[in-house]
Amino acid sequence: MSFDDLPIEIGVIYEGERVRGKDMFVELGGPKMDKKFELAIARDMNEIEDEKITIIGPDLKDMEEGSYHPFAIVVEVAGKDVEPDLEGVIERRIHEYVNFVEGMMHLNQRYDIWIRLSKKSFEEGFNTLEYLGKVLVRLFKTEMNIIEKIQVTFVTDEAEVAARYDDAINRYNERDARARGLTDAEVDTFYGCSLCQSFAPTHVCTITPQRYANCGAISWFDGRAAARVDPKGPLYAIPKGDTIDDYRGEYTGVNQIYTEKSLGKVNEVSLYSAFDKPHTSCGCFEAIAFVIPEVDGLGVVHRDFKGETVNGLPFSSMADSTAGGRQVPGFHGISIEYMRSPKFLQVDGGWNRIVWLPDSIKERILEFIPEELRDKIPTENDVMTIPDLKAFLKSKSHPVVERWVEIEEEEDMSVPVSTDADGAVAVPGEFTAMVGGVGGGLEIVFKNARIYAEKVIIRRKGTGDKKK
Amino acid sequence: MKKKAYIKADEAETSMGVFKGLEVRIGQIIDDEWDEPMGPTPMPGPTTLRSWDHKLLTKYTASYMPYCQVCCLCTMGKCDLSGDKRGACGLDMRGQQGRIVLAAANIGCSAHLAHSRHLIDYLIEEYGPRTRLIQGPGTEIHAPVSRLVTGMRPRTLEDASIILDYCETQLAHTLSATSTGQEGSWMDFESKVFHVGMIDQLSMEIADLAQVSTLGMPQADPDAPLVESGIGMIDTNKAVILTIGHNIIPAASITDYVTEKGLYDQVEVGGMCCTAWDMTRRDQKAKVIGPISWQLRYVRSGQADVVVVDEQCVRTDIVSEAKKVSTPVISTSDKAVMGLPDRSDDPVDSIIEELVSGKIPGAYISDHHKVGIIATRVALAVKPARRRKRFFPSAKKIQQLAQDCKKCMECVRACPNDQNVQEAVLAAQTGNMELLREVYNNCIGCVRCESACPNDYALHSWMAAVSQDSFKNETHVVRTGRGAVQDTEIRRVGQPIVFGEIPGIVAHVGCANYPGGGKDVHDMAEEFAKRRFIIVTSGCAAISAGHVKDENGQSIYERRSGEFDAGCVVNMGSCVANSHIAGAAIKIAAIFAKRNLRGNYAEIADYIHNRVGAVGISWGAMSQKAVAIAAGFWRLGVPVIVGPHGSKYRRMFLGRADRDRDWIVYDARTGERMYTAPGPEHLFYAAETVAEANVLTAKLCIRPNDTAKGRSIKLSHYVDLHERYMGFFPEDVWKYIRRNNDIPITLKDKILAQMKENKWKERPIPDPTMLKEQIFTGGEK
Repeated sequence: MSFDDLPIEIGVIYEGERVRGKDMFVELGGPKMDKKFELAIARDMNEIEDEKITIIGPDLKDMEEGSYHPFAIVVEVAGKDVEPDLEGVIERRIHEYVNFVEGMMHLNQRYDIWIRLSKKSFEEGFNTLEYLGKVLVRLFKTEMNIIEKIQVTFVTDEAEVAARYDDAINRYNERDARARGLTDAEVDTFYGCSLCQSFAPTHVCTITPQRYANCGAISWFDGRAAARVDPKGPLYAIPKGDTIDDYRGEYTGVNQIYTEKSLGKVNEVSLYSAFDKPHTSCGCFEAIAFVIPEVDGLGVVHRDFKGETVNGLPFSSMADSTAGGRQVPGFHGISIEYMRSPKFLQVDGGWNRIVWLPDSIKERILEFIPEELRDKIPTENDVMTIPDLKAFLKSKSHPVVERWVEIEEEEDMSVPVSTDADGAVAVPGEFTAMVGGVGGGLEIVFKNARIYAEKVIIRRKGTGDKKK
Repeated sequence: MKKKAYIKADEAETSMGVFKGLEVRIGQIIDDEWDEPMGPTPMPGPTTLRSWDHKLLTKYTASYMPYCQVCCLCTMGKCDLSGDKRGACGLDMRGQQGRIVLAAANIGCSAHLAHSRHLIDYLIEEYGPRTRLIQGPGTEIHAPVSRLVTGMRPRTLEDASIILDYCETQLAHTLSATSTGQEGSWMDFESKVFHVGMIDQLSMEIADLAQVSTLGMPQADPDAPLVESGIGMIDTNKAVILTIGHNIIPAASITDYVTEKGLYDQVEVGGMCCTAWDMTRRDQKAKVIGPISWQLRYVRSGQADVVVVDEQCVRTDIVSEAKKVSTPVISTSDKAVMGLPDRSDDPVDSIIEELVSGKIPGAYISDHHKVGIIATRVALAVKPARRRKRFFPSAKKIQQLAQDCKKCMECVRACPNDQNVQEAVLAAQTGNMELLREVYNNCIGCVRCESACPNDYALHSWMAAVSQDSFKNETHVVRTGRGAVQDTEIRRVGQPIVFGEIPGIVAHVGCANYPGGGKDVHDMAEEFAKRRFIIVTSGCAAISAGHVKDENGQSIYERRSGEFDAGCVVNMGSCVANSHIAGAAIKIAAIFAKRNLRGNYAEIADYIHNRVGAVGISWGAMSQKAVAIAAGFWRLGVPVIVGPHGSKYRRMFLGRADRDRDWIVYDARTGERMYTAPGPEHLFYAAETVAEANVLTAKLCIRPNDTAKGRSIKLSHYVDLHERYMGFFPEDVWKYIRRNNDIPITLKDKILAQMKENKWKERPIPDPTMLKEQIFTGGEK
């Protein structure tokens, strides 16, 4: 594959390129246009004329400098392994590939696309969408070997974009419904990702339809596509094997992969728990579910949240306790998408156990929080200390409050330790002193300490039951 | 570590009994609250990490380029060391070169360390030993270098002082190794160069941590303020105080005084070199004037009404130069007294009077509190008369003087940048000043041409005099130093670094020994920022990078984000803020792999060397400090590129791409020994041209651990830059392909052909380490 027949260059190095307003030749789609979209559709082999490129409406060379146009890109693909479930994955590559074009900027996806072509690239001869079509055709075919046939259609005609628009929106909706509707129980294969092992060597990400990768970047569909396109790559299929416990998300296949990929460091995982045999946490998780023992609940904080959380610790400190490919009960790396899943920490009580989260996440996923809980979960705008949190949860009758009774009872049963200080025994050579009454308090060890006292007076202080 | 305690109580009542006249002395208090286990090498001595150094030095052999063939350091000499000869002490040429580099690194480290010591002692005096050290929000892992090297978390100025005690001991040891009759092997000399480089990095971290904690500078702030920079930004309607050097304390005394008295409408405070950054970090009304190479042009312009020098990189003829334009000089550091009378203990009024009247050309004032009031009042007093004077010769005068040129070419021979000064002088004879302006643009202000000139022409002044228009155009807006990188930022870029969407971290640091006003530095930074690398800057390189405007009149700092992320250009601060660049690399290991930092140097260096695609560039490296800074990066396994003058550092550390056995690592998962491509290919390289440096920068970001996507993106940049700057497709791309997925998609045809031609075979991607102890199975397999 070569792009030598094109007037401009194509390469990964142009991916981050921005085309500013004054440098732009035309804008396709974008905020000034009501209707625009890009769409990938899986077709049957006989429905596609391979490598055909169609342009409906004015081509680049017919456009005026500095003008704005409605725009649609339709990529139709076929192949033995191409299935409608992979449409989303294929579609998202359009963004990447268009950005490879020198002087072309592509932002957003689906019905939100925003494309600019620079004057410079136009002047150098990139004056027809035919070229863009060639780029897409060649890149899709070399990069995704499952695509055997492909045809690309560009639409710049306003009426034609409008005519196709509703169908596109319907397809997105159906696709989303299918994706959200797909359950872990329905599939027999999960996908594993070991990309992060290059940094966190015992980490394995198990990606299921209802549990997104921790980084928030890879869905089950992405995993499926990647594993097919590059079977030897860092994403691979995990045959579920036998279901040990459906509710907890324990599968023999998953456990086996953990043993294998973590070199025996991790052997058992419950996919839907933050406490018991939890999924490992890499270093790039989007958020942390963290235990707040004082209220027996879980808080959530994401990596963009600056400052301290309700327990006084910022994301960075807790991330430190969470990361490294380990199973850390109560400090659990998750993606934000996972919070939209019905399986979200279901072993631990799911949303009933969530007692704090930043306002910005709450806003983003509000519709996925059970309605009756929405005002019961405080954010940084409501409470910022544990006592306030306790009071808030109590006043709102958050379900976690029901758990407290048991705990308070348990506490009552524990007999306070004798505070009789005279019971301390002096050990020669090493002298240990406990400071403060709390467990885990400060311990000072004096080693080889020499205490010189000019005079030591030992006096009996009355009598009593001090002797044990 | 070595914190001492002494308790005295007249009477202490305890559960054990009552102690009277109790005195307790404790030799050591150990910070055992830190649950991170202590690693194998806390506070390493000169040979503790020797085996790690030797691993690097075997992979990247020192290629010496002796600057002189003799040694004249002892009375048995001088000894000719050319060929395979040895000196009277037994040392051969390689050993001698290593020894000279070690001496240079020691000098460099001593400058940062003494600076750090001065700061800590001063701040303890001012604020007390228990003053907390705070790096800023989101820096849970504060002071990563200190943690890594010493096993300590410095939390107070007192802790900082303990760390400096350790540094001072190490410096004494490594310096002593250069004495005649000590170390004899080049590799051990170089290992100590690495050691003192690490100590240098540590002392810089302490210095910056201390000043950021106490002096109101931005704390790990991505939105560090934008400040004014350039000669044209200085308002000469006000009295102008010029500060030069690397130590904030005297300069802070000036800006504090000016602020306190509300004098900013009458006084400009501008800085050169690192003091400029540190001053603007704490006071945004202060201004950056320019890099170190701007000293003479500015002093000779006469715009500065007072010059205040602190330490490091100050022109040693500053007093005589300032005297030519009747500008009083105040020296403030015991390291650079500059022959001035010590007036530290005299009444302020009498010092001011003598400086204003010109009775003394300047004064040494070691009491920093006095510097602010004296500098300000003197500047205000001398300004009105000075503004009536003209300091540069007129064009007419230059033309007239130029007539006597002897055409001896001495000026050209003396010029380190090979500028044709003579031709410019001859053109000036006819009234054509264009060539002088051209020379000015490439001038680093060393004035060796003047020293060489038999007519004693003030050539530098001539150049500057005819270029005053460019003075006026030097109006830039730059982002001042932000300090450390936040853990949260590291976490955000971690994934794209792993996935390869961010191909590398490039640091532009160091001095301004480059022609063209440092436009090269700007262009290199822009080239890679555009490619979504992470670009960090510090010191004079950070100033130069900001002194180029784009078509919208914006500097690189205005158009690019200050957040540590793809496509950013982030100014860390003065030279001591270099430690935060190392710190960021170290934190990647701590945050992503959860590796322990505490006293765990070799493991972390191995991690960074094999996984973190970072490259340091010191395009205008000049000083011994630059050697020490580079050495700190070498020991972490981070490659460094220097500009053409960098070859005068006498050696490079070059890898041998042709020798497969040099590129074998252990796969940490299996213990198997595996070949990886030569990446990073070199550890230290002096590039001749920007083109060469750009190609190499992209290439040196390659690491054995790259994911397929990461490798393909890194190779895309390497190939593109190579084609663009060298004009042809690089011939070694095939070596870097491990599996087909590593091939950049748009370059498949060419690379596949190259692979076929070279009988390429697929190979696995290892979990790479150079340390046997890092193998999961303990290296038994």
